[in-house]
Amino acid sequence: MRWLFYPAGFLALTLPVPEAGAKDISPEDNAFFESRIRPALVKYCYECHSSESKKLGGKLLLDTGEDLRKGGESGAVLVAGKPDDSLLIQALRWEDNLEMPPKEQLPEPVIADFVKWVAMGAPDPRKKAEVPVAPPSITATSHWSFQPVKNPTPPETANDAWAFDPIDQFILAGIEAAGLAPAGDAPPETLVRRLYLDLTGLAPTFAQVAAFVEDHNTRGRGAVEALVDELLESPHFGERWGRHWLDVARFGESNGNDGLSRNATFPHAWRYRDYVIAAFNRDTPYVRFITEQIAGDLLPAADDAERDRNLVATGFLALGAKPAKAMNENFDMDVIDDQIAAVGSGILGISVACARCHDHKHDPIPTRDYYALAGIFQSTETLWGFAAHEKLTAPPTDLHVLKTPALIPPPPGFVETVVPTESDTGKAREIPKSTLPPGTPLAMGVRDRKEPADARINLKGESKKLGDQVPRGYLTACVMPGETVVEEKSSSGRLEFARWLTRDDHPLTARVMVNRIWLHLFGQGIVDTPDDFGVYGNDPSHPELLDYLATRFRNEEKWSMKGLIRTLVLSRTYQLDSIADESTIAKDPANQRYARHLRRRLDAEAIRDRILQASDELDPRPGEGSIIRHRDILVNKAGDLHEPSRHRSVFLCYLRNSPPPELAPFDLPDGTVVKGKREVSALPVQALFLLNSPFVVEQSRILARKLLLDSPADDQALASAAIRRVLAREPLDGETDRATSLVRDADVQLHDSHPDASLRREVAWAVYCQGLLASNEFRYID
Amino acid sequence: MNVRPMSPKISRRHLLHSTSCGFGFLALSALCQERALGAASALTDKVAKIPARAKRVIFLCMSGGPAQLDTFDYKPQTGNKKHPGSVFPFSRHGESGLWISELMPETAKQADKLCLLNGMHADTGNHAQSFHQLHTGDRLRSRPSLGAWINYGLGTANQNLPGFVSLNTAKPQSYSSAFLPSVYQGSPIGVNGEDMSQATLPNITGDHLPVRLKRRQLDLIQAMNREHQSSRLDDDALEAVIESMELGFRMQTDAPGLLDTSNEPASVLERYRVGHSVSEGTCKPSDFGRQCLLARRFAEAGVRFIEVNHGSWDQHKNHRRDLKANCESTDAPVAALLEDLEQRGLLEDTLVVWGGEFGRPGLTPEDGKDETGHNANGFTFWLAGGGVKGGHVHGSTDETGARAVEGKVHFRDLHATILHLMGLPANDLTYHYEGRNHRLTGPEGGKVVTEIFA
Repeated sequence: MRWLFYPAGFLALTLPVPEAGAKDISPEDNAFFESRIRPALVKYCYECHSSESKKLGGKLLLDTGEDLRKGGESGAVLVAGKPDDSLLIQALRWEDNLEMPPKEQLPEPVIADFVKWVAMGAPDPRKKAEVPVAPPSITATSHWSFQPVKNPTPPETANDAWAFDPIDQFILAGIEAAGLAPAGDAPPETLVRRLYLDLTGLAPTFAQVAAFVEDHNTRGRGAVEALVDELLESPHFGERWGRHWLDVARFGESNGNDGLSRNATFPHAWRYRDYVIAAFNRDTPYVRFITEQIAGDLLPAADDAERDRNLVATGFLALGAKPAKAMNENFDMDVIDDQIAAVGSGILGISVACARCHDHKHDPIPTRDYYALAGIFQSTETLWGFAAHEKLTAPPTDLHVLKTPALIPPPPGFVETVVPTESDTGKAREIPKSTLPPGTPLAMGVRDRKEPADARINLKGESKKLGDQVPRGYLTACVMPGETVVEEKSSSGRLEFARWLTRDDHPLTARVMVNRIWLHLFGQGIVDTPDDFGVYGNDPSHPELLDYLATRFRNEEKWSMKGLIRTLVLSRTYQLDSIADESTIAKDPANQRYARHLRRRLDAEAIRDRILQASDELDPRPGEGSIIRHRDILVNKAGDLHEPSRHRSVFLCYLRNSPPPELAPFDLPDGTVVKGKREVSALPVQALFLLNSPFVVEQSRILARKLLLDSPADDQALASAAIRRVLAREPLDGETDRATSLVRDADVQLHDSHPDASLRREVAWAVYCQGLLASNEFRYID
Repeated sequence: MNVRPMSPKISRRHLLHSTSCGFGFLALSALCQERALGAASALTDKVAKIPARAKRVIFLCMSGGPAQLDTFDYKPQTGNKKHPGSVFPFSRHGESGLWISELMPETAKQADKLCLLNGMHADTGNHAQSFHQLHTGDRLRSRPSLGAWINYGLGTANQNLPGFVSLNTAKPQSYSSAFLPSVYQGSPIGVNGEDMSQATLPNITGDHLPVRLKRRQLDLIQAMNREHQSSRLDDDALEAVIESMELGFRMQTDAPGLLDTSNEPASVLERYRVGHSVSEGTCKPSDFGRQCLLARRFAEAGVRFIEVNHGSWDQHKNHRRDLKANCESTDAPVAALLEDLEQRGLLEDTLVVWGGEFGRPGLTPEDGKDETGHNANGFTFWLAGGGVKGGHVHGSTDETGARAVEGKVHFRDLHATILHLMGLPANDLTYHYEGRNHRLTGPEGGKVVTEIFA
């Protein structure tokens, strides 16, 4: 029975269903009532319609089945089996001037539950004696994502030869149930592109495609496995998947507009970026990865390198965007709020932050839980650094001093030209002298306060209006056996919090991460609101599969992200063709059943990287540091700080409110909130970027120049070489003719503006190369 | 190496789409020929189904919940006991004698153009959800926004500009086309707090090639895209990209001039307060003057839906100070916009809409409190031009302004009314997606507020 999962507090407060009542209605009906109807009555209706109500509304009691049948001053409220004729339903639907509850209409799913319940005949186990007392969070605990993770057995399927992996059985069962058939397997030349781009964010070269196709022709799935293992070992794997995590971590290298138009740099944030990339490459188990980010400073370390790594990891908590301190009594709580939001949405997939001001209306997060968590972060000191020396923004703090990285002073002759100014006079202020030698390796992060303490509720979110003190603790909705309060009072409790988050029986942590990984490989999540597993979020399309994967992630993969990724890409489902027959598409246009692979547009980083790959300009080595590593300045006063770079996009400078111009058009997240799923828009600004941006124009020229160096005279050969280089395939029929025709036209049209024939030839070929770079085939991955 | 054969299958839907909209296969046939700029596309100016009173909308989106009781919904004290109401003085304006607060002196001069909807109400007092509902009709899910629906219904009037422009915006979902073809998505100018005085469409110009050669280059790109698409006809995103490439290309001719306000006389810049931003508490600098001026220029150029943004009006604390700053930021620019539209004869077919995701409860005078919350049960929008009555008040709230009691207008009714004014039958403008027809006004449908029609 569902209510077995209710917290102990609820059981103590509620009388169990009386025996007699339970006999009157079927167990299914009883379960439905207990999980859907009773909690809603308690939460939304009893305030006015219970014997306990201060003032009874409409002389209507809803305490028992008998009360409901009796009705109120408006007469009967129920016509069992006929929802449309029931006043209760009309009121919930806000029809005919009867609007219940009066302040805000119930969420649609709740109304739907009532409709269903009335249609069932309104089975009601409640008898007179029962006292309707329950905490408001009971709706919550019936929400799917708070239930313990199950370990479902893979379902039987009609076609028992199709699956490569049990994952495929879950998928195929859904496909079969929907009367569909899976698409064919992706041809090897499609699969190889998909694997390279998904695992490393880089496209395969023409030679790499050819080598794989040949290998695949010889040994089929053995070739896939070998390639997957090779790509997982590539340092580019971490650069790809680390960037996905940086979206979750709302990573940014500046504070972003603080509300007073000041945007202070975070010159050391890049160390966290490097930490994340390295963590993916070394395959840090996910639970360890989280623990380091939340409590790295409290972990034991075998050596200085480990100590430094753990400290840098806590940058996760420090690098959020902060509102100005000026005139803001709530600043400290704003910082904590960002931390709670990052952990809540990022790791738990639950938006906790609304509970700052009031009990969360729909998610089961009471304000007390928020302040239980806030106590942990309030007992923690956040080190964001000098925040451009502005007391009114985020006032300067210490930073972690690292022991192992080299001391890198600013280049000789470097003088900071963007200086802080007096806010009233605008006169230049002196930059405070640091006590540390210039170039000392520093990191953002957190450390425990000397005197940790529980937080007091900020009434309506106002730090000046304090309510009850709340013992430090966790979310009560996540019901797991054991403690819910931080025992260790001499520390902040962050380490215990990390241990709570990473418990094997945590209902959210594994599910949320498994879903994130799935989303990046399949183009949509099993829960397609990856940052919201709460009541507002989507339900899982394949709940059993989600639980199966979460269990497998924990038990078999031992929280290895590489392991889970490997498992997923070796599934048959992943390897399906994205091209399917018309009826499959017609029956499941959104691909909810995964009968085919979803075509995806490359993200901003991959588009830029692939352009640099095509022009053979990409510097595959990791970018070092950041262009702002020596600059504690206000971005808004500095103008455009970005500089051309040939490193991978992940190493560009992710200034908030001033994103790298080569990435900005393609739905780059703004780094202020957890972003598990990027938008994919088709905007004319993207077209303009591809047609006009200095970056694409320049790379096209470079590509043309290089091609001309290789085979200066033969136009057909040049066209073929361009296609192989950019699209990693052989030209199609007529494709090279089309190219040479364009180049000839270009040559004529450029005659007057480019009198030098060899330069003109280069520009003319650049016109063609740019065309290839701007094509959909280049940007979309099947 | 094998190259996959191109599948010739063409779905019925695609064929219809391509032939009805013209562009589909033209690009293929245009492969080897120079094409005139501004070829027909899916965005052709479709014919409205009911007589249109307005041809375009300028939505002045006041995010955060503007305090209606201290701007347009006058609630003086009644009786002996002090109660929540207006705390700033109001007076009557224009021939119509509309009550407008002293915080809006310039807008007040345009009183006879305004049609106040004082009985607005919405479902929720949560910012994000109500803001989403104001834009899309839905509180939770990703749905097309009003501007996208209008462009879907009417197409564009200017082939060289997007039909939907969103200025100074932070929320992609407010200009999203969601399940509508993404060609109806808004083009943002100035996002995420970018300095509005500099905001432009990036890469709008590029003189690395002569324009004819650029067109020739794009023809090649589009030919490749059509070939690529031919075996992937189910994928609407590919079609949308093809269309957005065309639009992007055409924008190069018109947009740069429009965005350059330096050719406006100094007196105009001053009337709009271009470059004068107030930054105080919740009131963020938005160069609202430049936004309004750009809105006028886009309207003149035939953009269907222009959203202009200012915020935040969410002054929980420092109500008086921050509300004053918000009004000061927006008052003169809005007035200049109304004045200019009228002077150019554009006001009669331009519907100007002012409002935010909800309103605020009133303060009680002299009780020392200076903070307000959210109120979705009663608040104010105003409309101007576009076939609505000027100097008119529709609807009202109770004596404390807490609840709409008369002439209640829900967001879905507002949406229905705007669509109707644009010549679109609101409840019949649907799009089939995931097995059912969707419409902006939702399952409930919206009631057109015909009482306000001029």
